[in-house]
Amino acid sequence: MPVSRRPSVKPPSVRAYAWTWIGLLVLLALTTGSAFLPLGRMNLALNLLIALAKALLVALVFMQLARDTPVVRAAALAGWFTLLLLASLALLDFAARSL
Amino acid sequence: MTNATLSAEGPNPVPQRTAVAVQFDDAAQQRDADTLGMWLFLATEVLFFGVLFLSYSVARAHFPDAFAAASRHTNLLLGGTNTAVLLTSSFTMALAVRAAGTQDARSARRLLLLTATLGAVFCAIKLTEYALDYRGHLVPLLDFAFDVDLRQGALVFFLLYFATTGLHLVHLTIGIAIVLVLAWRTGRGAGPRHAERVEVAGLYWHFVDLVWIFLYPCLYLVARA
Repeated sequence: MPVSRRPSVKPPSVRAYAWTWIGLLVLLALTTGSAFLPLGRMNLALNLLIALAKALLVALVFMQLARDTPVVRAAALAGWFTLLLLASLALLDFAARSL
Repeated sequence: MTNATLSAEGPNPVPQRTAVAVQFDDAAQQRDADTLGMWLFLATEVLFFGVLFLSYSVARAHFPDAFAAASRHTNLLLGGTNTAVLLTSSFTMALAVRAAGTQDARSARRLLLLTATLGAVFCAIKLTEYALDYRGHLVPLLDFAFDVDLRQGALVFFLLYFATTGLHLVHLTIGIAIVLVLAWRTGRGAGPRHAERVEVAGLYWHFVDLVWIFLYPCLYLVARA
């Protein structure tokens, strides 16, 4: 049998997937519930943080990024990195002059 | 890295009818290339949806009050339910990929069908929501009515709402079609590369879920307090 370049060839356990799913639903409840608390700007920060946590759970566990090869992880980050770069430049432009 | 088998068969082994295409050393390298290809496609998708999120950020900074008011007009019950449905479909998709990888065709088939069903439920709820939005006079260009002071900003909000959720729905529909084809093929002599195809389709499915994870707070939770 050929050797996989991935660090681990064993499929993730059903239990790990189930816990991830429960975690995602708990985070969904948290983000929805916290939106009803009058926290001012913290509402936005909390919503974004929870969305990021959910995205990381999906990417690392369900999409198996945590166990994939470095080159695949780099490719996965490339899109986000490019977006961050272009969005920062665009936002700087909007911040520097009035619409 | 099939040197062990090569040496056993001599310097010029007869090519076997295997799952590995000629340009790859072995199945593992082929699988890595498949995954890499899908991730590169997803990187372009990040930019595709990213520009919409960027427009949203700029517009929200420009019309904070209108975005707050407009967001309160979205249906939180349906939106929240749909988020749970989609997260659950990612769970069943991950299990389907696992089942296909362990050659458990029966489970893989059922889980793929379940995933497609959850995707269809999401679509049905989303379309119901669109109908309610129309009745609430929230559809730009068709029948839009909003508080005069906030009308311009709310119009931008709902243009972005329909653009992002609409494009997301198109992606999900494509995903459902792919998953259904894979479910149909599972166990019907799908060939040795079937598990790889399910895995790559799974990456696409999870990405569609990722987009929704960010859309949900941006559209439904702007100012509920």
